[in-house]
Amino acid sequence: MMNKRSKLTLITALVIAGIVVLTQSIYIVDETQQVVITQFGRPIGDAVTEPGLKFKTPFVQEANFFEKRYMEWDGDPNQIPTKEKKFIFVDSYARWHITDPLQFYKRLTDERGAQSRLDDIIDGETRDQVASHSLEEVVRNTNRQADTTAKISIMIEDSLAQIEVGRKRIQNMIQEKANEETKDLGIEILDFRFKRINYVEDVRQRVYDRMKSERIRIADKFRSEGEGEASRINGEKERELSQIQSAAYKEAETIKGKADAEATRIYAEAYNKSSRSVELYSFVKSMETFVNTFDTSTTVILSTDSDLYKYLKSME
Amino acid sequence: MGDQKIDFNQILHLIRKYYKAVVTVVVLLIIGFGAFFQVGTEEAGVVTRFGKHVRTVSPGLKMKIPFVERIYKVPVERQKKQEFGFRTEQAGVRTEYSRTGSVTEDEAIMLTGDLNLANVQWVVQYRVSDPYNYLFKVRDPDNTLRDLSEAVTRQIVGDRTVNEVLTVGRAEIANEVKALLQDMTREYSLGVQIAQVVLQDINPPESVKQAFNAVNEAQQERETLINEAKSEYNKVIPRARGQAQETIQQAEGYATQRVNNAQGEAARFNALYNEYIKAPEVTKKRIYLETLQEVLPKLGNKIITSENGNNVIPLLKKELN
Repeated sequence: MMNKRSKLTLITALVIAGIVVLTQSIYIVDETQQVVITQFGRPIGDAVTEPGLKFKTPFVQEANFFEKRYMEWDGDPNQIPTKEKKFIFVDSYARWHITDPLQFYKRLTDERGAQSRLDDIIDGETRDQVASHSLEEVVRNTNRQADTTAKISIMIEDSLAQIEVGRKRIQNMIQEKANEETKDLGIEILDFRFKRINYVEDVRQRVYDRMKSERIRIADKFRSEGEGEASRINGEKERELSQIQSAAYKEAETIKGKADAEATRIYAEAYNKSSRSVELYSFVKSMETFVNTFDTSTTVILSTDSDLYKYLKSME
Repeated sequence: MGDQKIDFNQILHLIRKYYKAVVTVVVLLIIGFGAFFQVGTEEAGVVTRFGKHVRTVSPGLKMKIPFVERIYKVPVERQKKQEFGFRTEQAGVRTEYSRTGSVTEDEAIMLTGDLNLANVQWVVQYRVSDPYNYLFKVRDPDNTLRDLSEAVTRQIVGDRTVNEVLTVGRAEIANEVKALLQDMTREYSLGVQIAQVVLQDINPPESVKQAFNAVNEAQQERETLINEAKSEYNKVIPRARGQAQETIQQAEGYATQRVNNAQGEAARFNALYNEYIKAPEVTKKRIYLETLQEVLPKLGNKIITSENGNNVIPLLKKELN
């Protein structure tokens, strides 16, 4: 009975010991991890970057896990003066990864150490680069021509200033410089970018004032353009009106003149045939004039010398 | 009470009798549950064995080696969405948005190429296209995409004037942001596919909005002034044309009348003349007498004097006055 029990205890002890040894000698490397094996704190061999089930000497060796994926670095918004001494906030970010876990382990120990070193390096480079370029170089990326088809753009002759370096190249320069400094830290920056660039508060107010005055200028221009155009149309109206009226007058008078001439010709032809016809015309016309001009308010004094009353005096 | 105690003892007895079978069943169940897993319709299952990626499985009931293999489920078919410059408060038939707050304002405000400021709100829609990259290449891929999207949008807006951004440039900006974002996600091995970049409201900053509205008003005013002038033109000119026609027609009428009258009178005169020429003296006399016959009855005062009576005329004149 005792023998049997001690046997069982022994087996149990062996199994437990086996499990302990096994867990100490195997380790699992995830897809997202890489491992540096250290023996009493001293790194042994190359870093393990392949995922899977791995072995090490139990108890003596220790597995130190590091991130294999790209990690984020997010900078604090920094107040930096540009070359022309405009103060701006620059909020940037970077992606980085551990390229040499061994070196990383030696130089930085862990991720927190890396982030703080990156802060120092990238912030410094950012400050240097931004301070040696004008704001436009930081904001603009290419020398793209502005699309000025919008009405407002045409009015104010919109255009973009030419740049020499541009945002992308400044970013690249910061990244390259930073990578030179991080080379012996076992890390590499994949990408560095300005996330946000903004004016500091009092500069922003000045920009708003400038934008306002520019808009007021555009508004004034629109208004005066409207007035000008209206005057032009009004002038055109007046001109056309005089033209139409005078042309009509001219034509009417011409027509009337022609008719007058024609009538004169007809009359002359009829009345001016001979001395007799002239005499007849003046006689008839006089007679007609009597008919048309005499009325009850007319007083006539007729002499007995006249043709009508000559017989009143005598039959001769 | 007694019955229950007996039942309890019986159960204990049964357990003692069959405990081996029970343990076996429990172990089998654990293995069974560990071996099977379900991948939802919108998901992909990424399987790792001892941490190493071995296969990616499609939706359905799938098997794995218990304890050794691990499963990550990634919703590859689901459209994901990130909002910038605003947040959807409550989605629904009438979705509510929140546009205030320093976080969203800082996201939206950006410098344009002519160093003005614009408030840009946009949405990035994307889905996971490569679950392996999405899981294992970048830590926190969604947040990485957020940072990227902000940087890329600012880069594109930074190459445009504020007027372009606010008016004609919208579609172009969205397209360029999408293209550049897609390139960048590829470079980053984010494992996502950008479906769409939609620009929402693009506004001038709050404190200059009024000035921008004044421009719109001035533009309206300009149109109004021009339209009024045009309408006045349209009111006056056609009427003047009609009046001109009237004047000409009247002249034509006058001309016709004048010529006809002349012709008529000439014809009448000619007829008279033809007869007159045959007996001029008598005709003339006849006409004279006939005329006086017609005229004299209508007259008021008729005074007949002798040939020597010329000297009375001044007297008569006085009386008449």
